Amino acid sequence: MKVTFAHMGNLWITVKTILEDLGVEVVVPPRPSRRSLEVGVRHSPEFACFPLKMNIGDYIGAIERGADTIVMVGGVGPCRLGHYAQVQAEILRDLGYRAEMVILEPPRGHFSALLDKIRYLTGGKPISRVVRALRFGWEKLYALDCLDRALVRTRPLEAVPGGAAAAHRRAVAAVAGAAGVEATRRARDEGVAAVLAAGGAGAAWEDDGEAGGGLPGRNGTPLRVGIVGEIFMVAEPFANQDLERRLGEMGVEVTRALYVSDWVRINLLLDTLRLRRRSRQSVVKEAASPYLGHFVGGEGLESVGETVLYSRQGYDGVIHVAPFTCMPEIVATSLLPEVGRDLDLPVMSLFLDEHSGEAGLATRLEAFVDLLARRRARAGAGRATR
Amino acid sequence: MSANGLPRLGSGAVVGLPRALLHYELYPFWRVLFERLGLKVVVSPPTTRDLIEQGARRSVDEACLPVKAYYGHVMALRDRVDAVFLPRLVSLLRGTYTCPKLLGLPDMVRHNVGRLPPPIILDFDETKRGSGLGDAALALGPRLGRTGRQASEAVKAALEALGVFRAALWAGLSFEEAAARATQGPLADRPGGGPSGEALRPPVRPTDWREPAALNGRPRVALVGHAYNIFDPGVNLDLRRKLVGLGCHILTSEMLSHEEVQAESEAMPKEIFWSSGRRIMAAVRRFRRAGFVDGIIHVISFACGPDSMVGEIAERETRRESALPYMVLTIDEHTAEAGLVTRLEAFADMLRRRRRKTGGEGP
Ligand code: SF4
Ligand code: SF4
Repeated sequence: MKVTFAHMGNLWITVKTILEDLGVEVVVPPRPSRRSLEVGVRHSPEFACFPLKMNIGDYIGAIERGADTIVMVGGVGPCRLGHYAQVQAEILRDLGYRAEMVILEPPRGHFSALLDKIRYLTGGKPISRVVRALRFGWEKLYALDCLDRALVRTRPLEAVPGGAAAAHRRAVAAVAGAAGVEATRRARDEGVAAVLAAGGAGAAWEDDGEAGGGLPGRNGTPLRVGIVGEIFMVAEPFANQDLERRLGEMGVEVTRALYVSDWVRINLLLDTLRLRRRSRQSVVKEAASPYLGHFVGGEGLESVGETVLYSRQGYDGVIHVAPFTCMPEIVATSLLPEVGRDLDLPVMSLFLDEHSGEAGLATRLEAFVDLLARRRARAGAGRATR
Repeated sequence: MSANGLPRLGSGAVVGLPRALLHYELYPFWRVLFERLGLKVVVSPPTTRDLIEQGARRSVDEACLPVKAYYGHVMALRDRVDAVFLPRLVSLLRGTYTCPKLLGLPDMVRHNVGRLPPPIILDFDETKRGSGLGDAALALGPRLGRTGRQASEAVKAALEALGVFRAALWAGLSFEEAAARATQGPLADRPGGGPSGEALRPPVRPTDWREPAALNGRPRVALVGHAYNIFDPGVNLDLRRKLVGLGCHILTSEMLSHEEVQAESEAMPKEIFWSSGRRIMAAVRRFRRAGFVDGIIHVISFACGPDSMVGEIAERETRRESALPYMVLTIDEHTAEAGLVTRLEAFADMLRRRRRKTGGEGP
């Protein structure tokens, strides 16, 4: 059995770690590219959401490299992710690919069904081994998110862009190669320090899992922009056209409301971990409530609630990213203009898909950042300098 | 507004129902419920191009046509009612959801349609205990200041009307016929009156679609899709009439009973978790096996999320397992009438040719 899975940012490192720790052979698909996207788009329904199309490109790339089993998450609605597996299975089948799909559904009553699938994948490893592997994978996931957080804070401080990104790349490789929990933690801490040093910030940094602290740099406190939206588009740089890098190089400090480690905690982990998270979730829900009174699937409610929270934290603006036709984010984008008006916060929604041109995005981002800079200047010198 | 967030509505106040989206699945329920609670009901006028345009202007571009039409219907009610009913229909069937957009719909309307009359927003959610259609409706009465007894009588009558409506649809009646059957007669004439009894249940028309008579070579076309796409001629460019004009006999996904839907659905490895999607999927499978259906047309809204998934599974399955002609009609506010007619003509011609070739003069 050779197992593969779809890409989403650096998530492959975590999944590969877990599976290999359990003795499963893994085929990582080639990184998303124009080519894989083209393959995915060609074989997917026109109005499918962008992540589904990208997944198809990944799967085909991996199958061509020998994968015969696909692992993915399932779901019970209300949004499309929960039916990805059925549609993707139909597509692959009609193309003549014979890959087996193992769908990990979030436990809903019958926890044993999930365990059965894990047992199947791992050739019957005892549950204690599975838990150990998950712990290990979790450590990597968390380390990678820490590195990303350090990078987005450092980028705007760089005199010449590129150093922090290079340090980040090296650190990611070190985390990917780390052979155990301890080694992962070491790679994480060293990596974070190296990334920060590249920006010349040298400031103490602690991961509070919250918004950026606005590290002061040579040009004063950078503009701060919060990113909200659908998790895949937020987490996959190929899909969002390297949004974080572009903004960082324009001198903007970017904060992602939702990291994959957060998403896993909310959506996949068991109740004990969920409980710890609940307070945060209820804060978001409460923040959204004047505008949206119900969950709408995906990250729609979060997009609205996190935007309100960014405003409370004094952010300069919010960018909302979503795939074209994304239902929860269409709800969010219907509400965000009013949120922005009420809170006097510039909010820009970007609906992206395979047709979105790079030039268009660059222009829109520049205009948005200009707007934020002008507002900051108008708001007075007091806040703009340190 | 009263303390519980609902507008104060005395007897005789007018509540408006937007004639869009799940109106086409629940209208008799709402009408009887509100009338029995002593309110007058006004339904927005039929969908027109202009009404859709009005709604689209208030909506984000990315929204689908039915949502834009819904906005337009709410706007059409603005100056005519004391309150507008904006139900949040989360789930109408355990194990399913409607659509993420419908989960957010009352909020989208509230924040985008200006000059809104006081809204009645109420959540209906079969996945939650005590929040299903009947239970949530029961809570409405007291919140509008009616007695518990009035409330429960209203809900009982409303559920009864819904039952009549659905049975009529399942027997093959059109939306208008079924709705009239469920809301006219003793019920609507005497709001607050006694139990309706037998008068409500006239015998269903004997021409059950499941036992088809010969059609003299006219092709039988199954229209599948959301009820609001199948039933609203203003949204679907009067598709049904066009097809009938082309000599087709029409069946729809709304003609399957709840039991028929469930039977088909449970045969799938994973059941569709959108209520309407589950029905569409079941209808495609049922009609495919029926033997007397000549072709299937799936009407989908441009950029509809659930349809993109359900439609893909249904179409691939059908092409793999049968030779049945299957056409996908994508509609939005820019769909050109002429192009649609051309496609329908070609489809109907093809069905007739196939019928002749297979000597299909039987049912
Ligand atoms: S949240 Fe958006 S991208 Fe995700 S499944 Fe739903 S529609 Fe697709
Ligand atoms: S089901 Fe499709 S057509 Fe209906 S509201 Fe949702 S996206 Fe729009």
